[in-house]
Amino acid sequence: MSEEVKQYIKSEYKAGFVTDVESSTIPVGLSEDVIRLISSKKNEPEWLLEWRLKAYRAWQEMTEPDWAHVTYPKPDFQALSYYSSPKSMEENRPKSLDEVDPELLATYEKLGIPVHEQEVLAGVAVDMVFDSVSVGTTFRAKLADAGVIFCPISEAVHEYPDLVKKYLGSVVPQRDNYYAALNSAVFSDGSFVYIPKGVRCPMELSTYFRINEAKTGQFERTLIIADEGSHVSYLEGCTAPMRDENQLHAAVVELVCMDDAEIKYSTVQNWYPGDAEGKGGIYNFVTKRGIAHHRAKISWTQVETGSAVTWKYPSCILKGDDSIGEFYSVALTSNHQQADTGTKMIHIGKNTRSTIISKGISAMTSQNSYRGLVKMNPGASGARNFTQCDSLLIGDRCGAHTFPYIESKNPSAIVEHEATTSKVSDDQMFLCQQRGIDPEKAVSMIVNGFCKEVFKELPMEFAVEAGKLLEVSLEGAVG
Amino acid sequence: MRTELNIDKALAALADQPKPDWLVHWQQQGQQVLSQTAWPTRKTENWKYTSLKSLQGISWQAETPDAVADGIRFVDWQEISIDFVNGRLVNTPKLPDGVTLHRLSDCSEAEGLTFLQKVDSERAGFEFDALNQSLLTEGYWLKVAKDIQVAQPIHLNFISSGADVVTSTQVLVELESGARATIAETFSATAEARVLVNANTALYVGDNAQLTHYHLLLEEGEVRHIGRVTGSLSRFASLSSFHMAVGGILKRKDITIRHRGEGAELSLNGVYLPKGHEVIDYHTTLEHEVPNCTSSEIFRGIMADHGKAVFNGRIHIHKDAQKSVAEMNNRNLLLSDHAEIDTKPELEIYADDVRCAHGATIAQLDKSLLFYFQARGISKKEAEVMLSFGFINELLDALNDQPVQTLLRPLLATLFAQKQADLARHIL
Amino acid sequence: MLTIKNLKAKVEDKDILKGLNIDVKPGEVHAIMGPNGAGKSTLGYVLAGRDGYEVTDGSAELHGENLLDMDAEERARKGLFLAFQYPVEIPGVSNMEFLKASVDAVREARGLEPYSSVEFIKLAREKSKAVNLPADFLKRGVNEGFSGGEKKRNELMQMMLLEPSLCILDETDSGLDIDALQVVAEGVNALRSPDRSFIVVTHYQRLLDYIVPDYVHVLADGKIVKSGGKELALELEKEGYRWIEGETV
Ligand SMILES: Nc1ncnc2c1ncn2[C@@H]1O[C@H](COP(=O)(O)OP(=O)(O)OP(=O)(O)O)[C@@H](O)[C@H]1O
Ligand SMILES: [Mg+2]
Repeated sequence: MSEEVKQYIKSEYKAGFVTDVESSTIPVGLSEDVIRLISSKKNEPEWLLEWRLKAYRAWQEMTEPDWAHVTYPKPDFQALSYYSSPKSMEENRPKSLDEVDPELLATYEKLGIPVHEQEVLAGVAVDMVFDSVSVGTTFRAKLADAGVIFCPISEAVHEYPDLVKKYLGSVVPQRDNYYAALNSAVFSDGSFVYIPKGVRCPMELSTYFRINEAKTGQFERTLIIADEGSHVSYLEGCTAPMRDENQLHAAVVELVCMDDAEIKYSTVQNWYPGDAEGKGGIYNFVTKRGIAHHRAKISWTQVETGSAVTWKYPSCILKGDDSIGEFYSVALTSNHQQADTGTKMIHIGKNTRSTIISKGISAMTSQNSYRGLVKMNPGASGARNFTQCDSLLIGDRCGAHTFPYIESKNPSAIVEHEATTSKVSDDQMFLCQQRGIDPEKAVSMIVNGFCKEVFKELPMEFAVEAGKLLEVSLEGAVG
Repeated sequence: MRTELNIDKALAALADQPKPDWLVHWQQQGQQVLSQTAWPTRKTENWKYTSLKSLQGISWQAETPDAVADGIRFVDWQEISIDFVNGRLVNTPKLPDGVTLHRLSDCSEAEGLTFLQKVDSERAGFEFDALNQSLLTEGYWLKVAKDIQVAQPIHLNFISSGADVVTSTQVLVELESGARATIAETFSATAEARVLVNANTALYVGDNAQLTHYHLLLEEGEVRHIGRVTGSLSRFASLSSFHMAVGGILKRKDITIRHRGEGAELSLNGVYLPKGHEVIDYHTTLEHEVPNCTSSEIFRGIMADHGKAVFNGRIHIHKDAQKSVAEMNNRNLLLSDHAEIDTKPELEIYADDVRCAHGATIAQLDKSLLFYFQARGISKKEAEVMLSFGFINELLDALNDQPVQTLLRPLLATLFAQKQADLARHIL
Repeated sequence: MLTIKNLKAKVEDKDILKGLNIDVKPGEVHAIMGPNGAGKSTLGYVLAGRDGYEVTDGSAELHGENLLDMDAEERARKGLFLAFQYPVEIPGVSNMEFLKASVDAVREARGLEPYSSVEFIKLAREKSKAVNLPADFLKRGVNEGFSGGEKKRNELMQMMLLEPSLCILDETDSGLDIDALQVVAEGVNALRSPDRSFIVVTHYQRLLDYIVPDYVHVLADGKIVKSGGKELALELEKEGYRWIEGETV
């Protein structure tokens, strides 16, 4: 491997600033009382408190899983605070965006997120979640005209209790896994989306998650319901300040995709990855799952460049006949990052189809694993899966791993899985250099090309953002 | 595992046999490990898809019946056949110059410990190694001396018989540098046999040595076969190892090949064909420990009836094993609504200048090929049989030894002839 | 333009170039012929600065500047262009994107403004037309799935866009059909100018019918063993290399 590529990568995390606002953060520690406190702060109905407590009791009986390919010191759950909110969001809760503390909005502006509806790039509705609370959601009125509900889940609990009650935990049950149970007990804010029958959501929806306070965890909970024949494209973005200690982000995302509906869910995950020595960074332990009914389609696209440790498998339960599941993923790890990510496609209905395209890039001393499950149940006649997992290695001290589980109990189901591992070849580098392109740019072009199949699945603006993000992670490579 | 697996009788019989202290000591060590090893369940990653229920509820004993069966015979191969019944050597064939065969129990302490050390160094993480060590019926050390090219194939013909018999064997095949040999291990059982065959083989291929190896699990009936094959390749060594499993209740083979010298070459192929309620489980691991080695692996299976197969193919490229080339391919056909395949190809890579790929498919017969056959006047039914046969036959055709093909082909033919009706019903 | 003196180079400890001298003046076309494995491609790689080729002796200067000290991309920006014998594929990176990056870099080095996207697309279309590549090749990955001939034409298109001062064409004619050969020749001839020089590596006289060289050199076993005018190529075609080897031995 050429010297240029070897000397590669010293990324500069551009979202690492801290917003200086006064916060009210509950004392560290986790107990039933803490859960009661969170629930009362949000003024929640009794049923939800009970629901949380049930999850908490289940969690207490569970043991933290030991994952094969990630190693990290287990978080001390009693040393975290489970709720933190800017003071300005607590007393006299702002009634509209105009009343929100400008300092908070500035945080999002600094991250390049359109927070004012009149902005040029504002073809996108945004929900801004800051630590444990949503600080504002744009375009709610315009969306309401179309019948679309887009609001913080903490509000949905009050305004649409029937929908929340019916679907919360319907895709990811409280005791699904250790971190899902924890999330169910202490979840703070996240987005709630409902698209009525036959409606095509008139704009992109997005949520930006920001962890600001130290020693807090963020427990996002998102629920998206696409009623029959509806269509929605949703994007989430995540950033956090640079801090020396690890912080926990344990989210649960549930998608309900009714007959003939379509949900496109994209993530650009750029949590703080820790420094070059592996100090600090977010632990990103996330459960994302969608259920697709007849002819419904769920498409997950993710670009993962951040977090110290990522553990995440956005999955599709293809329950309805002719339903479709897709998973497009780019995961880039550098320095001491570890990523264990992939998907599960559970084919239950007839003629269900799934596609998995996973691109892993590992650099420096990072470890990058694809872990996936494709399961063809006995009823999944005529089902098909195609999986392509490619890994690109940059430097000789990193690791790239592929662990696909494939199970079939139906003779007419077809599964194809392919995986390759390669490096940026010397020949490609030479061709670029011979044409005058400098090595740093060449690496970033080649890596971007490697990811193209995934980027083209992202909404336009975000594809550009994702490309830039990779470039930043590849910056400073060449000496 | 001691509480779940009833081997009291076998252990008692073992204690009665006269044998050297060092061997007794080794077996006792094994028994200790065995009692500390947890019984594998579905929660054990290595046994996620394979149940060991069929080993339970039987009081396993060690017994050597008098009746000698023929086992497997090749046709026109001029092979040297060495026969074993329930793990005991029953004939003393004349071996060519430079080839020696020793029983472990006949070895001096120094030799014996060398044998055990060689076998031990290849082991890691397989629960049934402890069983093998605890109950070891006998070990066999087949050695081909430096630069000896053995023209005649050597056939290790393992036959199992008896009721509730457990047999643990350990074969050590060692090719010294520059040696060349073909060694076929076949496993068969008498019709009434109810047995647990726990057969381990360790292959050592020295510098520039070449080994062609067959490991064929052909037992039908009430047979459980659980064991492992390990291989260690030195500089520029070449190993071609072919595996096949048909019949029985449960067959599980863990194959681990390590590239330990630069320039080594491996070809590892296999076929599994579970039918009825049979379960066949292959776990393979290719360890590229040094740079500049190549591996190619192809496993194919056809699952019929309620048959179930598990395939786990792992490629592990160690740090600094640059210029490794490793490819693995696994293809499967399910022939019935009740058949099952669970496959897991794995890549674990810690070096960057490598070429690694794996692929796994589960599919029906290719419709366009079926059509091509039909267009040439062949009935669909016939085409299906031919195509499934062809799917496996491709691997048999690639075998260098005609007589092995001749042995295996009719076996496939009967299998598919039986299946013909099923095929027609299920693949339409 | 280019002065090579006593150039010696090795690859993986094998001596390939064994003392090679060539002097290319502005506007000249030099053809290099020679048996397989003689070191023709190696010469191209050494001049273009590919990793793994170690110069053990001698010098190479472009416009009076020492080439051998520069990085590959620096040489390209100084006007050296190598059309590869076997152009590599870069999956996922579109030809257009690649070309723009390349042209921008080279123009920047020359103190020129980068083209606007619109200008560039227009220009690229024009050039692809000139080499008979349909415009949709611009959208495909660099050389990805291109046929042998298409790859060669793609190389030529890049040459036209980059406007180098020294063009080294390594068997750009191999694998081309007659029409394509003419296209390549026309392309090269159109670029011929008093301040641009060419080194054309080829095995076939027929290319030299179209691109008429000022000099023909025979490279064998890492050295120029014979040089002459364009008639030398004709002799070679008739007699093969053996008579030359006979001469030098
Ligand atoms: N990386 C390498 N390692 C070892 N030998 C090499 C390497 N690259 C080139 N060579 C050898 O150097 C010699 C010159 O190769 P080169 O490609 O320059 O020949 P050529 O004159 O271009 O031949 P052709 O007409 O076939 O294109 C050949 O013998 C080749 O095998
Ligand atoms: Mg050449």
